[in-house]
Amino acid sequence: MTTHATPLAAGPDTTTLADRVTAVLPVLRDEARTADEHARFPERSLRALRDSGLMGLLVPVEYGGLGGRLDDLVYVAGELAGSCLSTAMIWAMHCQQVAVLVDHADPRLRARLLPDLGAGTVYVASVTSEKGKGGHLLSAASPLRRAGGDLHIRRDAPIVTGGLYADGFLITMRDSESAPPSAVTLVYAARTDLSVQTSGDWNPLGMRGTHSVAMRLEGRVDDGHVVGVPGDFRTVAVSRFIPVGHIGWAACWLGAARSAMRAVLGMMRDPRGRGQFNVRSDLVRARLARIRLDLDTMAALLGQVVREVDRADDPDAVPLQLRLNGLKVLASERSFEIVDTLIQLVGLRHGYLRDAPVPLERLFRDLRSASLNYANERLLLANGALTLMDRDVTLDY
Amino acid sequence: MNDAFGAILRRHLKYLAPDADIPSAAPLRDLGLDSMQAVELVFDLEDELGVVLPDEAMTAQTFATADTLWRAVEQVAPDASARVAG
Repeated sequence: MTTHATPLAAGPDTTTLADRVTAVLPVLRDEARTADEHARFPERSLRALRDSGLMGLLVPVEYGGLGGRLDDLVYVAGELAGSCLSTAMIWAMHCQQVAVLVDHADPRLRARLLPDLGAGTVYVASVTSEKGKGGHLLSAASPLRRAGGDLHIRRDAPIVTGGLYADGFLITMRDSESAPPSAVTLVYAARTDLSVQTSGDWNPLGMRGTHSVAMRLEGRVDDGHVVGVPGDFRTVAVSRFIPVGHIGWAACWLGAARSAMRAVLGMMRDPRGRGQFNVRSDLVRARLARIRLDLDTMAALLGQVVREVDRADDPDAVPLQLRLNGLKVLASERSFEIVDTLIQLVGLRHGYLRDAPVPLERLFRDLRSASLNYANERLLLANGALTLMDRDVTLDY
Repeated sequence: MNDAFGAILRRHLKYLAPDADIPSAAPLRDLGLDSMQAVELVFDLEDELGVVLPDEAMTAQTFATADTLWRAVEQVAPDASARVAG
């Protein structure tokens, strides 16, 4: 693991990753409550992230980024999530798009776009949802149309996180009008290349700051905007999009649950407040132990998956697919249950009131979405099939 | 590939027209085989052809095309080409 107290890139800038994170956290903490209250996109927090260099975490140093790795992503996502889970998820999903562009964009697009990504001037949103495909990432209905070297995009998406505020979009499209739904092509389009219509209100239970909206995108880009091989988004998805996505989400959820645990332990250990918690009770101790075990379990699996993705020879390998899907399921379930148990531990006053100093009720609402985001049931069904293909039960620990 | 193999495979290719031949080198994915169905296909091949596919064969490469899958089946049943369904 890298240590986050040392600068990432060799060079005159000695700012460490920890310095950059420390600089943005107060802004996130300050804006989290209003973003949640008004279901508003955390614009000030995004501005702070742009200024911090963290939007370019995964951009190579030669393009002006921080040249960070997956364990850096995990560290930053966890810290951000401890202050504002909505902002952390917005940031992590942006990093997922960046990772895909760094690895798979056409050289011309890389040369043009990566310096902007490194500088934090371009925030990229993901457009993969589509009506009628049941949330399947690896299929698309709306076809790309080609004319004179240009690609014509016309795409409706029922939900795009941060869509109103994004400077660019990575969009999944069916490769052509005659292509099957499984022939998916990933296309990058700058906001300025598109006419963008948004519709619908955003008034959800939790994750209210992510301001996810329905969008209609229409416009033309040149064929250098295809990311990866036309019709083969699957390779991009399996090698980069899905691993970085699941790792980023899991890191956010773990970070949120960890911050809640930290805050509750802080209250319980504070000599002035300790009296209101029955910390000598066997039940309280057993619950604390269970939460700690869940956090350690999530962290262990997350660490293993990061190592395996970093060195993966075959991103399609069944045991790695099982653990990647499993990480998402485990982190989403455990993080929510941890916050639920913490609310039970600290009671109504600290756990259930909207203006309590520790935002447990907000985290409870936020984390309720974790199992719905790329639904756990679908991942478990996939893992059930994959499990039958690994009779040897390859654990690789 | 033989007829028995082709008949089993065809059942799992929802985008293949009923009267079309199975293309030997086209991606099975484009013909409708996803990873969830791959395991059902394995069960059918094992049940009906009397073969057992090893875990090492459970890779994307094996399920890439009708040809690559047929080769994996042939490896575990060298006489599979002589078998007849039923």
